Amino acid sequence: MKFSRKRKELSGIPTSSMSDVAFLLLVFFLSTTKFDIKKGLGIVLPPASSQADVRVKLNDKNITKVLINKEGEILVKTIDTEERIPMDKLKARIRTIVRNNPDMVISLKTDRQSQYKFMVQALDQLQAAGAEKISLSTN
Amino acid sequence: MARFVKKNKPEAAIPTASMSDVAFLLLLFFMVSTVFVKERGLKIVMPRAENIEKIPRKQSATIYVNSSGVISINDFPVEIPQVSGLMSNKLAQNFNLITCFRTDKNTRYGVMSDILNQLREANCLRVSFEAKLKR
Repeated sequence: MKFSRKRKELSGIPTSSMSDVAFLLLVFFLSTTKFDIKKGLGIVLPPASSQADVRVKLNDKNITKVLINKEGEILVKTIDTEERIPMDKLKARIRTIVRNNPDMVISLKTDRQSQYKFMVQALDQLQAAGAEKISLSTN
Repeated sequence: MARFVKKNKPEAAIPTASMSDVAFLLLLFFMVSTVFVKERGLKIVMPRAENIEKIPRKQSATIYVNSSGVISINDFPVEIPQVSGLMSNKLAQNFNLITCFRTDKNTRYGVMSDILNQLREANCLRVSFEAKLKR
């Protein structure tokens, strides 16, 4: 009698597609990962008045007041002019003021009842206009 | 003459077939066990601005202020008069501290003004108002 030998099948996990899976996962995480990067408008505050050595007295003509009321309306006040302007015109107005007088200090005065976003928008516009000396205050 | 029999050297090799198993095991272990420390903060909607710049994360300390004026530092609710003490402690740990405000866009400015005065008292003079890029 003839015995037929049974062939043993090789068992194994197919590994040829492993790299495909790995790359798929890599691409998935690459495209979905979101890093929380902090971005914002920087400013340096003056020291508290008790700590300040000397109080700097500014000439009135070197101060431009930008006033924001609780409705978000803006008033730009210099020594001899006073005008109400919309937010999108603020940058151009401040740019001309700063160009004419590089020592100009912009005092951003926001109403306590005003929304924070108006102040941030105005500060953004002031920095975009190239104003370097900005002071924040409230009434 | 004596005949020298060449000794067969056994081949030395590190089995690399299971290397990927080990790598995946390690990957899985770290994926499962890693916990990211993250401040929860308060739920806020940030205002938008154009000229924003990056704030170095290592130097920053975040103050959350939500639309109803609740202040949170290190995930603790804080009253306005406490801000100065807390921030001066932080300044002592990191001399180059930048205080970042994550304030809701509809918060009343009065709260912010009070906090800014507290920061001035604590001598934390570098401040940044966080905003999202306006498109």
